[in-house]
Amino acid sequence: MSETSCYILDNGAYTVKVGLSSAEPKIVPNCIMKAKSERRRPFIGSQIDECRDASGLFYILPFQKGFLINWDTQKTVWDYIFSKECCPVNFNETALIITEPLYNFASIQEAMTEIFFEEYECQSLLRINATDLAEYHYRKKQNNQCTVVVDSGYSYTYIVPYIKGKKYREGIRRIDVGGKVLTNHLKEILSYRQLNVMDETYVINQVKEDSCFVSQNFMGDMEIAKKKVSENTIVKDYVLPDYTTIRRGYLRDVVKPDEDLEQQTLRLTNERFSIPELLFHPSDVGIPQMGIPEAIIHSINSCPEENKENLLENILLYGGNTLFPGFRDRVYNEVRSMALDHFDVNVTLAENPITYPWEGGKLIFRDPEFYSFCMTKEEYEEEGKTLAFERFDI
Amino acid sequence: MAARESGRVKEAEKRRILDEAARKRRARKAVEALEQDNFHEDPHADLVMSKKIPKFADSNEKPTRKKKSKSAEYYKMRFRKTFAQLVEEDAAFRPDPPNYLSAQAPPSNFPDRHFCAVCGFPSNYTCIPCGARYCSVRCLGTHLDTRCLKWTA
Ligand SMILES: [Zn+2]
Ligand SMILES: [Zn+2]
Repeated sequence: MSETSCYILDNGAYTVKVGLSSAEPKIVPNCIMKAKSERRRPFIGSQIDECRDASGLFYILPFQKGFLINWDTQKTVWDYIFSKECCPVNFNETALIITEPLYNFASIQEAMTEIFFEEYECQSLLRINATDLAEYHYRKKQNNQCTVVVDSGYSYTYIVPYIKGKKYREGIRRIDVGGKVLTNHLKEILSYRQLNVMDETYVINQVKEDSCFVSQNFMGDMEIAKKKVSENTIVKDYVLPDYTTIRRGYLRDVVKPDEDLEQQTLRLTNERFSIPELLFHPSDVGIPQMGIPEAIIHSINSCPEENKENLLENILLYGGNTLFPGFRDRVYNEVRSMALDHFDVNVTLAENPITYPWEGGKLIFRDPEFYSFCMTKEEYEEEGKTLAFERFDI
Repeated sequence: MAARESGRVKEAEKRRILDEAARKRRARKAVEALEQDNFHEDPHADLVMSKKIPKFADSNEKPTRKKKSKSAEYYKMRFRKTFAQLVEEDAAFRPDPPNYLSAQAPPSNFPDRHFCAVCGFPSNYTCIPCGARYCSVRCLGTHLDTRCLKWTA
């Protein structure tokens, strides 16, 4: 067994973060896509970069509601990832760290164990939650006792308190709002108000990424967004890609009609901040749940009294949604206002919110006890899948 | 006669009010739509793809492993379970909280906010027939012309 590097696969519902611990991670879409413009082939993972015209992309995803459901799709994407085309690996020589969702269902856990030992012939396997890797990463840097990990991803947002490196399960909270809900809601309102973009998930996801921000004063921004263009600091036009001269759209100031360059645009006002707002008020779209800051407080309040202070001091944010400008400040301000005055509040945005757990995998591989966290192929052959339930705390 | 009849239809339409069950159904459908992967048909649906023609990823090169790799289709059948089945199974596997269902964040203690179903700005009024929110006469007009009772869940 080579001990110089391991293979880390943070298997997200939207993107896979993958690579040898000795190299930089690659970010690969965890899906198969079909384009109207290219009928000879589907695009697997990063092959989408070869697609000239990404309008009307059709998505086939392995995950549903945050769980691995469509195994044929996942197997196809994994085969692509492990091939020379993407990020090759020899599992005979290299240990694998792979992430799974919190509370992953038992039969999916069994399937994971089986496919990696039998199909991919792994010698050493560590199945772990991405939040565990993120917490490990943070603790190694901060040397702290307790952490609240906030993972705001594609399918949902999880809030997970850790006490001395261990998940405190009674405190775990899930909000069923993630990047997918935000993009779909943006598609819905734009299609009703301006232009039918219901088929344009790929493009509207880019509109979201390029245009949206988290408001620090929601009702105040609503007032600004209502004003006429000359007095409105929020209104912008988004120039849509046409896949001849523009490959990726962009946000620009509203121009006078005579300066118009005949580009197809979307006019954005309150859409720019009412979309990320769903993370703070899921009830705005009829999802009867707390927003992130309130759920952080709810989570901490269910933890032992003596840990609350330390938890409030170590709130860590990562995941795609944390990239919205203003996200950290809004979480900080709201948690600060709800927490007791004599406690300090610290909210940290991970330095790279997408690959932070992957980087944690790199650190855990260097842990002197790393191989005791893993399960080996011999153990699997002797003791079977039940051992995996004892060893891995999913 | 025809004019009177259509007038009567219009009157009936005005008085039609969506009942509580229909409103709930509509709201649930709107939330479910936020989970959908695609809103259009597979653009390659008319092509005979998948099963017979090998996926090009497999055909390019043989894997370095000696063992024959099982197909994606095999694993689809082997691990076939729906989300609903898995949730049900989980209730037996982890019957006592904390578990997947208990981790769900509870409703907020802050009051719900209301936004115009047309323009998205804060709203003060409720449409009587369907319960949607609107902010102005103009938006109410758009709402009545486009949605309101036009589509039923
Ligand atoms: Zn309105
Ligand atoms: Zn109505």
